[in-house]
Amino acid sequence: MDLNFTEQQQEFQKEVRDFLDENLDTKVSEKVRNGISISKSESEDWHKKLNNKGWLAGPWPEEFGGQDWGVVEKFIFEEECGASGAPRIVPFGVGMLAPVLMKFGSDEQRKHWLPRMLNGEDWWCQGYSEPGSGSDLASLKTTAVKENDYYIVNGQKTWTTFAQHANMIFCLVRTSNEGKPQEGISFLLMDMNSPGIEVRPIITLDGSHEVNEIFFSDVKVPLENLVGEENKGWTYAKYLLTHERTGNANVAISKRKIKKLRKLASETKKNGTALVNDPLFASRLAQIEINLQNLEITNLRTLSSVESGEAPGAESSIIKILGSEIEQDIDNLTRKSLGKRAFINEPDAFSVGYNGPEIEPKAAATASGKYFNHRKKSIYAGSNEIQKNIISKMMLNL
Amino acid sequence: MDLKPSPERQILFDTLTKYFENEYKIADRNTAAHSELGYSKEAWEKMRDLGILESLIDPELNGFGGTPLDISAVFEALGRGLVVEPFLETGLVSTKILGKGNENQKKLVADLLENIALPTFCHSENDTDYRKSYVKTELVPDKEGNFLVTGKKVMIKNASGASHLIITCRSSGDYADEKGITIACIPSNRSGIDIKSFSSIDGGRVSDIHLENVAVLKTEIIGNDGKGFEIISEAIDFGILAICSEALGIMEKIKELTLDYLKTRKQFGVPIGKFQALQHRMAQLLVEIEQARSAVVNATINFFDSNERSSVISAAKFSIGKIGMLVAEESIQLHGGMGMTWEYDLGHYAKRLVLIDHEFGDEDFHLQKYIELQ
Ligand SMILES: Cc1cc2nc3c(=O)[nH]c(=O)nc-3n(C[C@H](O)[C@H](O)[C@H](O)COP(=O)(O)OP(=O)(O)OC[C@H]3O[C@@H](n4cnc5c(N)ncnc54)[C@H](O)[C@@H]3O)c2cc1C
Repeated sequence: MDLNFTEQQQEFQKEVRDFLDENLDTKVSEKVRNGISISKSESEDWHKKLNNKGWLAGPWPEEFGGQDWGVVEKFIFEEECGASGAPRIVPFGVGMLAPVLMKFGSDEQRKHWLPRMLNGEDWWCQGYSEPGSGSDLASLKTTAVKENDYYIVNGQKTWTTFAQHANMIFCLVRTSNEGKPQEGISFLLMDMNSPGIEVRPIITLDGSHEVNEIFFSDVKVPLENLVGEENKGWTYAKYLLTHERTGNANVAISKRKIKKLRKLASETKKNGTALVNDPLFASRLAQIEINLQNLEITNLRTLSSVESGEAPGAESSIIKILGSEIEQDIDNLTRKSLGKRAFINEPDAFSVGYNGPEIEPKAAATASGKYFNHRKKSIYAGSNEIQKNIISKMMLNL
Repeated sequence: MDLKPSPERQILFDTLTKYFENEYKIADRNTAAHSELGYSKEAWEKMRDLGILESLIDPELNGFGGTPLDISAVFEALGRGLVVEPFLETGLVSTKILGKGNENQKKLVADLLENIALPTFCHSENDTDYRKSYVKTELVPDKEGNFLVTGKKVMIKNASGASHLIITCRSSGDYADEKGITIACIPSNRSGIDIKSFSSIDGGRVSDIHLENVAVLKTEIIGNDGKGFEIISEAIDFGILAICSEALGIMEKIKELTLDYLKTRKQFGVPIGKFQALQHRMAQLLVEIEQARSAVVNATINFFDSNERSSVISAAKFSIGKIGMLVAEESIQLHGGMGMTWEYDLGHYAKRLVLIDHEFGDEDFHLQKYIELQ
């Protein structure tokens, strides 16, 4: 057994670190480290820098402009980015839709859409969930009816992350009511500027705007925007979901957060002694660290079996559950460690224009908001209950 | 044995609960809670007209309540209503302290009832040190026999709209000694007071208060010089009882919202409450909330037992902290995306419930305190 990186992989790791040192804007990474959403243009800037280096879509095959990264390279890249506070690559285009187009799309679709993802012309969002269809995605009702050269789309999507930034959306729509619900779903690409599309913000409990509702009324979508075959969309969607769920370990991000928490707790006094030395606090922190160490190895074990050719199965569910819960545990302990300062909710403290009173430690400005916001991590990308159903079925045969 | 609330208190609780359900809409509450003042003056006045303040105040101070049983019943109702107006700091803790003062100070309670004064309690000085005796703010005598106060108070709720500040000061001893704490009550517009306020995640405003050579007359001292600890200690215990009861009201409301959601939200063709995985989670919440209620009952009935009070109060606050967080997190999870939204009430209840653990000592603090007391 060898969980070490090869020499080549180590070199790559160093290259990534050097790149981040040189290219990552510290203002942006400060925001990321403090859980502040970065602006659309900050995201786009980062994408551009990565694209210039050829790393915006590292795992893509070379023929489409990628680097053919294996799972380990992808892992190294993501971990280094996480550790340094680099913005996450917005996943909807390069990480989610692209693999579907590569496997199931037409040549024209690949030629048209993939380069636009790389050069930043399109910002994609993911239109799966509907008000009545969350965990039971296959029950979705938004319809697409063929009329001459178009599909006419009617219905509603919800929880659509960053729809406010997007000019394109990939949607699951119902094209047939025959047979099982899964058998009447198609995968459509739509221009967000089409007449009949309306986007309304959903504000989350911490007061931020990430998600939206989208209403479709008689939206005309050209037939060539159908991906693959009509009524086969469920297969493509499932393929995409496995891509969405791998890479959820977030080990480096959690490590970075623990380091920050440890520092915070050593600078904080509780009843006269440093909080890190408080036995109850120390025990909570140590348990999270041990969990995280274990997850790191669990994740590497999974990667090594994928590298040697085994398909990722329900293992991605294990990692989704652990990754989300550990991150939530850290956010929770961070909130606790701030004591009364955790009442503050001033996300604007990280903006240039903030002229309110100084907040010390600055992390307090957003710690509680982030704690509440990150409850989403065990809900989205297949809730943790659904992951347990998958494990029960696929690994336990129950 | 009868551990049920008395009929009068049950009526009080039911009346308030019905009032909040009909008249205190969470959307309006949220608008006020995140405004410059942090709550609604109008709602405060309406609730005052209803007699909520009187129910927290002893008869000798013109109230008609003020016992642990009254306080627990009222705050449970306030919790259910997610009321953000300053009943805790002003209506309860401040009046308990002022009741130990001279005639002028008692008069402030009457003024509060008539809506011409709004005192608030300014005590904590350290974000993470929850000891009641932690007071560094200096009180030094001047030549005329009056005093000057200098120091900093942190994360004080509702200070920005207050007319008077009840400030704990140190006149002698070390910063965490129980002896040597003196309480002063002064108008909030006195020179040398600088209030910096922030938006609070659970609604309302929290402030850091800087005090720089603030003049205090000797008539503005509550009780005796250096003997303030006992007064604030009991008032804070009342506050803990109240906030635990508030949490209980919140938990009961969350339980109802979540149960209702499990019964009405359908996925895979059935209400999600049909999934046994979720049934057990909900059943566990019920079990835990029953334990939380018992902790509050225990603290309420033993409140005046001097051998027991500290221990049952810490046990209650620990239980509420631990169970409150579980209830908040689980209820959001059981709601899926819906639990994450601003528009739906649940999240606002969950935020208040979690932040209650940051007031008057968190679960770890009270667990350690409980251990020390045994
Ligand atoms: C911040 C955020 C961002 C999101 N971004 C997007 C996006 O960009 N695009 C998109 O399409 N969607 C997005 N989603 C939607 C997300 O995928 C759904 O919220 C998720 O699938 C859960 O669906 P739901 O919210 O309808 O909850 P429900 O499915 O109604 O679930 C409610 C509860 O029941 C449980 N449950 C449901 N079925 C079962 C079962 N069979 N057994 C046991 N428990 C069960 C769930 O786990 C949950 O606890 C986002 C959600 C959030 C919160």
